Amino acid sequence: MRLTFTLFALLAVAVVYADKASEPPSQLAELLSADAEGYAKAIEPREFVFPDDHGPHPDFRNEWWYVTGNLDDKDGRRFGFELTIFRFALAPTKPESESLWRTNQVYIAHLAVTDADEERFFVAQRYARGALGLAGAQARPFRVWADDWFIAEEPGGAWRLVADDGDFAVDVTLRAQKPPVLNGADGLSQKSSQPGNASYYYSITRLQTEGRIRVYGREHEVSGMSWLDREWSTSALADDQVGWDWFALQLADGSDLMFYGLRLTDGTQDPHSGGTFIGADGAATHLDQEDVEVTVLDTWDSPEGGTYPSRWAVTVPRFGLDVTVTPVIANQELFTTVRYWEGAVDVEGSRHGERISGRGYVELTGYAQ
Amino acid sequence: MIPVTYRASFSYLLRHPWQLVLSLLGIVIGVAVIVAVDLANSSARKAFLLSMDAITGEATHQVVGGPNGVSEDVYRSLRTEAGLTRIAPVIDGAATSDGLSLQLLGIDLFAEQSVRSFTGDAQDISSLFVSFLVEPGAVTASEQTAQELGLEIGDRFELFSSGRQHTATLVATFAADDSLDRVLVADVATAQEWLDLVGWLSRIDVRIEDGDTATLERFERALGPGTQLLSASGRTRSTAEMSQAFMTNLTAMSLLALLVGLFLIFNSVNFSVLQRRGLIGVLRALGLTRRQLLTMVLVEAAAVGLVAAIAGVLFGAVLGEQLLELVSRTINDLYFRVNVTEVSVSAFSVAKGIVAGVGAALLAAAVPAIEATSYEPRLALTRSVLERRTRHVLPIVTATGIAGMVAAIALILVSGTSLVAGLSAVFLLILGFALCVPLFVRAVSTLIAPLAGKLGGTSARMAVAGIASGLSRTGIAIVALAVALSATIGISVMVDSFRGSVNAWLQQTLQADIYTGTIREGSMEPELIAAIRAIDGVVDMSTRKRATVEDASGRTQLRVFELPPQSYDGAELIDAEPAPAWQAWESEDAVFVSEPYAYQHAVGAGDVITLPTDRGPRQFDVAATFQSYDINAKGIMMSRATYARHFDDDTIDSLGIYLAAGVDVDAVIREVERLSKDTQSLYINSNAGLRKESMRIFDRTFVITDVLYWLTLGVAFIGILSAMLALQLERARETATLRALGMTPGQVGGMITAQTGVIGLLSGIAAIPLGIVMAYVLIKVINRRAFGWQIDMTVAPDILAVSVIFAIGAAMLAGLYPAWRAGRSQPAIAMREE
Amino acid sequence: MSAPPLEIQLRGLTRRFREGTREHLVLDGIDLDIARGETVALRGRSGSGKSTLLNLVGGIDAPDAGTVNVAGVEVTALTERERTLFRRERIGFVYQAFNLVPTLSVADNVRLVLELNKVSARSASARIQELLDAVGLADRAASYPDVLSGGEQQRVAIARALCHKPAVLLADEPTGNLDDSTADSVLALLDRLVRDSGHTMLVATHSQHVAAQCDRVLELHNGKLQPAA
Repeated sequence: MRLTFTLFALLAVAVVYADKASEPPSQLAELLSADAEGYAKAIEPREFVFPDDHGPHPDFRNEWWYVTGNLDDKDGRRFGFELTIFRFALAPTKPESESLWRTNQVYIAHLAVTDADEERFFVAQRYARGALGLAGAQARPFRVWADDWFIAEEPGGAWRLVADDGDFAVDVTLRAQKPPVLNGADGLSQKSSQPGNASYYYSITRLQTEGRIRVYGREHEVSGMSWLDREWSTSALADDQVGWDWFALQLADGSDLMFYGLRLTDGTQDPHSGGTFIGADGAATHLDQEDVEVTVLDTWDSPEGGTYPSRWAVTVPRFGLDVTVTPVIANQELFTTVRYWEGAVDVEGSRHGERISGRGYVELTGYAQ
Repeated sequence: MIPVTYRASFSYLLRHPWQLVLSLLGIVIGVAVIVAVDLANSSARKAFLLSMDAITGEATHQVVGGPNGVSEDVYRSLRTEAGLTRIAPVIDGAATSDGLSLQLLGIDLFAEQSVRSFTGDAQDISSLFVSFLVEPGAVTASEQTAQELGLEIGDRFELFSSGRQHTATLVATFAADDSLDRVLVADVATAQEWLDLVGWLSRIDVRIEDGDTATLERFERALGPGTQLLSASGRTRSTAEMSQAFMTNLTAMSLLALLVGLFLIFNSVNFSVLQRRGLIGVLRALGLTRRQLLTMVLVEAAAVGLVAAIAGVLFGAVLGEQLLELVSRTINDLYFRVNVTEVSVSAFSVAKGIVAGVGAALLAAAVPAIEATSYEPRLALTRSVLERRTRHVLPIVTATGIAGMVAAIALILVSGTSLVAGLSAVFLLILGFALCVPLFVRAVSTLIAPLAGKLGGTSARMAVAGIASGLSRTGIAIVALAVALSATIGISVMVDSFRGSVNAWLQQTLQADIYTGTIREGSMEPELIAAIRAIDGVVDMSTRKRATVEDASGRTQLRVFELPPQSYDGAELIDAEPAPAWQAWESEDAVFVSEPYAYQHAVGAGDVITLPTDRGPRQFDVAATFQSYDINAKGIMMSRATYARHFDDDTIDSLGIYLAAGVDVDAVIREVERLSKDTQSLYINSNAGLRKESMRIFDRTFVITDVLYWLTLGVAFIGILSAMLALQLERARETATLRALGMTPGQVGGMITAQTGVIGLLSGIAAIPLGIVMAYVLIKVINRRAFGWQIDMTVAPDILAVSVIFAIGAAMLAGLYPAWRAGRSQPAIAMREE
Repeated sequence: MSAPPLEIQLRGLTRRFREGTREHLVLDGIDLDIARGETVALRGRSGSGKSTLLNLVGGIDAPDAGTVNVAGVEVTALTERERTLFRRERIGFVYQAFNLVPTLSVADNVRLVLELNKVSARSASARIQELLDAVGLADRAASYPDVLSGGEQQRVAIARALCHKPAVLLADEPTGNLDDSTADSVLALLDRLVRDSGHTMLVATHSQHVAAQCDRVLELHNGKLQPAA
């Protein structure tokens, strides 16, 4: 008999319930909604300082570095990629120990590559304790990593993102085209009416990206545009919230739209939903829930169960935006710690009556059990 | 429906139940001993392999390092720099709780999935996950282990490791079979803290798919000089093989019991066939063919053998449980940790037992059956003709025996270092000798019969002469007893010599006045060592560190010593001048190798050996070979200075304390106890105490040997009993005549008792030369081949005397019942017409 | 002339054997007087109880009822051990199957009985010599029984039976295993030795020839004793 510790099985489910569609995805939520006592909370707006805030905020229970991007190789082959590194604190403070292994910090990383032409979607993940240098984050110089996957500042200020899972890999350099944008109220993004149920949230919506993607053992020289989302909090979904739809759209005219819609159990959208419109010049405008209208045009049935929306009409009358958002391929669902859909999309439509196109990423959570 | 012929034959056995019972008993005990030893061995081995398997999981390779293990930095760099992520850290150590020895395993749950496969049900474990990681002292164990420790989930309990006490919390249990009995699992951090291994891992488990040479090469490139990637199964195998010699020896002893049992079976079956030669004659006359008769006898033997073998297997399973404890204790004392809680009865062991039992019965029946069926179909062959035949074949038998012994010697000479060949030679020797015993018995009893007549009268002469004339009956019993006795003599002399050598060696080796150190594992606190050094009356100290280094060729034990020159006498250097050898040992890259190591690797003074070090493989000069009986130290003695040049480790696990003349040893011991009480629990022992303790463990190791040879003697005893009963049955008419002539039951019984006494005496005398030769072979061939030890043979006369007295006593005891029976026999039988 | 003293006196001797549930009356109240020096032949079919009667007289077996008096000793009143000692001293046995001890030489077979009767080694040797001479086997003293012919073996047995001068010689089919001419010579020897030394002899036999040599012939039939026809 192998080391079939039920314990490990349980942990495997909790931390990585990969390949187990039947398992309830609630463990992580439970983990996140467990007693928040002792952690820092996002209650008031704060002053963001860069590059320090690129680094970790270990007093908060959870935090993530979210990079998504749309890339093309020289032959015009279309790729999307996502590298997300999550940080979770399992306890408010680090236990005393002589051992460097002891920690309260856990890191989980998700890597996904969309190969639009081949209609393939690759997913991998890493998880490690935030100790002994196995995983971690630091501000100066900026670096966040789990095992051998990392996003790190290089000499000269550009960031390098490297993640290799053997079957597929991403190795790209990111150069910010716009300064960080503080979402919500000066970076405080309220998720429900409850005080503290909010995150600190900023984005860098345009990162010029050059590098290589490897699929099927072949390297592709790629270039394109990426997006960084950074958020940390001690909050979780409220009881009446079932998930969210998040849009990060980069338009051809140089403007960007971020919008998240929090879905309530009754099927309506939470008034705490919101977003940011960033002009080509980098000027950001906060959007309330009523500023953005999202209509689902199509759905996709996951082969593992669950139905996701799959095409949307997005209108932002304030900025004259009226576009259709279409996934480049339907199946971009991640069976990782939390089951969710995160995929590259195309944008077509008009702004102030002019035809406009764009690309982006959409994240859909809470659709599949 | 059983054919009438079979019933005719078998009813004979039923009408002589004691004969049936004794022949059954012979097979039962013989088979039981084999099965028991086999079960004990295989259970211990299986338990070890299963637990290794369970703990190794799906790991195909392991990264191992130097004496302290693998630096955790190696693990980090493999993961974060080399991107080798199918690896998992393991910390492996010993702990005790509530007197129970436990294996403490430190793991990283995040890494586990990459090398081990999981199954199980999902429950709420988020809190468990949290506590395992962030709560120091959180452990899990199998349900059985928790039960054995009397723990419920959530209970706190005390745990000792590295001489210190820790508080553990059982945060969860898992369902597992007994391969994970007595294993506690904790987070790497917890295990590092408890086992004094902060900064280190015992090893890194690695999973590499078959044929994935690219990954192998990546490991090769990524690993530094002090670490190596080894095959996991190879490591398990080499650990298991450490005990192979021990198990082989046990198996050989169990075969000895079967061999003696075989004589007994042969005796009984042979006799029961001979008894029925009249019946066989009648059946032949009635028209049964030889083949039919032979089949009949063999079917009967097989049936008896099968029944007895089944009983033997059952008895063996019970006996095996007793032996298992002895075997696993010895393995734990000498080789590696193994937790065996129950005998696992394998079909293979059972089959071996059955085959041995039935085979022995068939073999034993075949000879007399072939002989009996070769008779012309006329009525009974007379006894005297039978005895005459026996006398005729005696020279052939004896010549065969001598040839066997010569072959045994030849086998020893040509078989190099093979243990199995050595043991085969021992068996050949025994068989050869056994074949010579009947001639010896006849010669001696014929020779002394007149003497006995002079001393004890006609009945004494009759008693002695009866042995020679009944050789076809008594011969085999005498052989069985002689073989059993010679085995006890051989083993006793071997153990006694061994004991003497070890004692002398300990006396020489243990030079310090007091020894102290950590129990089993872990290193001593430096502050404590300094405090001990400062005790009044302590003039000098030697330090020792036991380190294990490993490469693809296996594990090597390093004994790292810092020795005051006065303790140089403690090591007996065999093949070098002490002064220059010590000089080289102290100041150059030179080591001493133990005798077992020298034997196994065929090296000695002047040779060069390569050892893995923290700086990669390095060559060391062998300055000398030293005498050693330390079974685990197929090892190497290295000076602290040399060690420090090649290994990053300054820990010490034990001290030898030298006191000034006139200082009270007990007072210093008390002081060391006081100093260590609050920091670290240590063993503290005086020179004499340690020697005594060492001898106690030595003796414990041989308990199983004792058990086995008593069983062998038991079989031989039954052999004598059975032979004498058979003889009395055969001689019923003769006994009746004697009674009719006016001998009292006491006189008849006395005569028979005297006869068995002489049989015992003859067996005892015959056993002495074989016993001594066997001891010699065991000491100089078997032990050398198995363990590499050099033992001085000493034959204590009392062992021989005790054996002979035992033989006489046992034989007379075995003769009591037949004597009583004979005395009670009705003289009227003799008057019946034939 | 007064009648010679009685050597054997049997009164109401009864012996039953149980065979399963059936009881078989072998001897049914036998009365018999045999005078000292008298030789008596006992005839009867196989299983008629001849050997049983000899065993009772020799103290090897004990009766269910009745008394045996041999040479003035009430055998039936003796314990097992006393009967053994009585047998040792006063009875000589000759069997159909000779029953020599195979591990002892001819001389030693005879010596065994003398030794049991505590005869000194010196006089024993003389007596053995005398007897072996008498049976014509002086030259085979050192031989073992298995090299002797049947007749020779029976002669040794006779020597053994007579060496301690027993009061009564009991012979059970002494010639049963011998061919006719050997039987004759053995019988002649037995008769001569018995008569020479004045032994009382009770011999069980089928043989007309044997019976003819005896002073008296009795027939055992249905458990009763009657003079032979």
